[in-house]
Amino acid sequence: MTSWKELLNDKIPAEMGNLIDTYEAQMELRKQGKLDEKVFAEARLRKGVYGQRYDNGQRHDGVRTRDLLYPSDEVVKGPDTLWDAPGMQRIKIPYGGMTAEQLEALSDLADEYSDGILHITTRQDIQLHYVHIDDTPDLMRRLAAVGITTQEACGNSVRNITACTLAGVCHDEVFDVSPYADAMTQFLLGHDDVQDFGRKFKVAFSGCAGHACGLVKMHDLGLLAQTREIDGETVRGFTVFVGGGLGTVPHQAKVLADFCTEEQLLPLTQAIARVFARLGEKKNRNRARLKFLVAKLGIDEFRKLVREELEIVPADPRHTDYIDRVSDFVNAPAKAGMALNGAALPDGFAEWYRSNVYKQVQPGYSTITLNTPLGDFTSEQGFALADIAREYVGDNIRLSVEQNVVLRWVADADLPAIYRDLCAIGLGDANAGTIVDITTCPGTDTCKLGIASSRGLTAELRARLIERINLLPDAVRDLKIKVSGCFNSCGQHHVADIGFFGNSRRSGNHKMPHFQVVLGGQWQENAGSYGLACGAVPAKCVPDVLEALTERYVAERAEDENFQAWVKELGRKEIKAMLQPFTKLPSFEEAPNYFSDWGDSRVYTIDDIGVGECAGEVVSLFSMEISKAESTHFEALLALDDGDYTLADENAYKAMVLAARALVRTKYLDVGDDYSNIVDEFRSRFYDTELIYDRFAKGKFARYLFKRHAEAPARIDQDYAHQIIDETQLFIENVHTAEQRINGVIVG
Amino acid sequence: MTIVPKRLGVKFNLKQTPKTQPADIVPIFQRWIQEHRVEGMLIDVIDYKHVPDGPGIVLIADEADYAYDFGYGEAGLHYVRKRDLPADFAAALKLVFHCALLGAQALEAEAPEDLIFDYSSVKINFLDRMNYRNEPAVFDEIEEALRAVLSDIYGAAVGLSRVHDDPRRLFAARAIASPDAIDLEDIGARLHESRQLV
Repeated sequence: MTSWKELLNDKIPAEMGNLIDTYEAQMELRKQGKLDEKVFAEARLRKGVYGQRYDNGQRHDGVRTRDLLYPSDEVVKGPDTLWDAPGMQRIKIPYGGMTAEQLEALSDLADEYSDGILHITTRQDIQLHYVHIDDTPDLMRRLAAVGITTQEACGNSVRNITACTLAGVCHDEVFDVSPYADAMTQFLLGHDDVQDFGRKFKVAFSGCAGHACGLVKMHDLGLLAQTREIDGETVRGFTVFVGGGLGTVPHQAKVLADFCTEEQLLPLTQAIARVFARLGEKKNRNRARLKFLVAKLGIDEFRKLVREELEIVPADPRHTDYIDRVSDFVNAPAKAGMALNGAALPDGFAEWYRSNVYKQVQPGYSTITLNTPLGDFTSEQGFALADIAREYVGDNIRLSVEQNVVLRWVADADLPAIYRDLCAIGLGDANAGTIVDITTCPGTDTCKLGIASSRGLTAELRARLIERINLLPDAVRDLKIKVSGCFNSCGQHHVADIGFFGNSRRSGNHKMPHFQVVLGGQWQENAGSYGLACGAVPAKCVPDVLEALTERYVAERAEDENFQAWVKELGRKEIKAMLQPFTKLPSFEEAPNYFSDWGDSRVYTIDDIGVGECAGEVVSLFSMEISKAESTHFEALLALDDGDYTLADENAYKAMVLAARALVRTKYLDVGDDYSNIVDEFRSRFYDTELIYDRFAKGKFARYLFKRHAEAPARIDQDYAHQIIDETQLFIENVHTAEQRINGVIVG
Repeated sequence: MTIVPKRLGVKFNLKQTPKTQPADIVPIFQRWIQEHRVEGMLIDVIDYKHVPDGPGIVLIADEADYAYDFGYGEAGLHYVRKRDLPADFAAALKLVFHCALLGAQALEAEAPEDLIFDYSSVKINFLDRMNYRNEPAVFDEIEEALRAVLSDIYGAAVGLSRVHDDPRRLFAARAIASPDAIDLEDIGARLHESRQLV
């Protein structure tokens, strides 16, 4: 029987393949208990392999908490996270852009490793749920074969870089930011300077200031397209925002630089990353996002530090190489543009056209949004959608932060036909971007941190609103609703007109699911302002609260007064008074249905809440890097077992270099990847100074590295391979001991 | 020897459109977890009723999923075994068939007048594109083994066909037995016995 690894060997770029092999070796080491669970957890998270609710082996069934007796109940894939428990695989889709082939590959994986559903996230990723960790290496290989990586999709790393789905086709943008988002993705992926963060780092690009676009003001790093006249020439660049973020404590980003040129974009980002890595909080993960560092230092001091860092960022040709490729970036139609020609229109087309079709800046073309309920679509829809894309738009597929699929470059004359085709696969619903099109995080369905059922509530609101949509005034119809299952704001409730986030309250001896009502957030102007929490109401009251709010808004608003202005005008006190009738809690005997969440018949409990992995594990840079050396050493052992002694030697040598590099990087971050440079730095910093010396063996183990580096073996046989693998093991142990002695800690 | 696919599914369709709504299945599956109504290490229930022709309501277990499924527009009970399949193909298919049958019968018992399954027709899904590409040649290779196992299960001859032409879809076969030849008690007993032997 062949394997995906063998089958796809020629299609996977070597570097991606090596990373997956390393991860697979780390899995094996963890199963054998040879890799620390926290280190493995962070390594797995950085591969997008995430925990899910109930992975601690316990679930409340509505009556009592039961043990889930997974087969490998002794093996964990992280603290309190059982190996066999189903997990989530997050898959990065940079700026949401994907090809038809990639969509098919993702659909294959949803069929074979998940539950047949592809879920679009608020960061333009795809997530597959209920995935077994043992399936993840092959899943990654199949993605790598079509050019998709899961590298750094979770954990304390640079998350998927987002951008407006209209980039390149928008009437109001300054220029198309897609190639810049692409370049930054390539540049930062696996970059040494983004491996030692205390928390995740989110980046977004936006083409204009006015629309929601990339939501740059709620990001750690937001880039807003600008041009300047310099020496008579129009120069492209960006206004740089830093320190934004939602979460429990939302921060609006601050302007770091009014304008940075495209030449400065990547080095400046690198400098920001280095300052964050050096000065950001590492121990208290609740204060470890960049927003806290910017707030603590003040934007002026932060700017000064970034400027100083920029001076010492090593020169790198990649900083500017990408600029030549910007103009090559494909933003072109698959078919000639044609106007709608008066042909008969299908039923429902006009309504769909009104809400789901955006006339591109390019004449004769439109961008259409597929209203994808709760961000979910089936693998079968994925295949059909790939066919539709090929027929009408080629590879111009994007995912939106509002959890929809977007097809760009539809020739206007094709709109009726594509609408018919989308209806045939259940993706022809109108009302994209309206009050019906609610954004939601996974909540208690799958998230360990979920307090209330955000998806259950969203499904209920959506069903009720669809029934009434034609009766709603435009002012209500165009409102944004966003729902999170807890205060962490993955559903982005702060930037909606009406947001909800889950919490719980007690009534008698029972807990009751609630949602906090957050009003007046601003989606436009790149998440221009955040909403105000106005009070918690029982989950079962939320539809009534929504109705009361929208009815009063329609009745009292001044002409053209938007929701934010109305909320501000009304005032928090009055809003609180309006919510008051809904906050009276019935007893369990009076209204037992209040004590169950939406879409859940169990009596509500918060006993299932676990420890989230959003923050990743606080693990030192050394621990992460030495684990790569250990897994490479393990691969050498596997090669030895396979009788491939040349590969065993290569991996053993590489493992020694990686171990040396791990130690060098505790003192010198910019050592790079060149073997000779690493060995030289290691020699001067740790061997010549005797810091690496073992108490008894002195510098013997380090000399194993020097010997192998100085000269490749003349003859490689089993005995030689065995010997160098043993030497590598001793050297890695030597590095571990030295690091403990020098730095005093391994796992932070 | 016939390769055991990585995942194997069996689906029985409902005979008629039921009055029972997908949302009604959620509390049923949640009660099944409380009562261990069907076999497996039952974990959770997930609701996908908002997705057209999707997996509907899924009872997630460690080794398998039970779905009140609407795939390809056909409502039915789809049991997908994800792990712990026997190494022998016949034993694997009998195991999956048996679990699907028990799951469908358990669901039928919840609304006997309404949820009525057609056991004379069964769809077998091979969730393994590595070993089972959706090609006619693959069907030709497996047809004999598949027919033998299914005839053994039903105790009667079965008609067999490949379900999907599109090579991207999962390889799937549909078996149809004469409704007159079906005795569910006998089938259940045979399958139970075969599992005891395994």
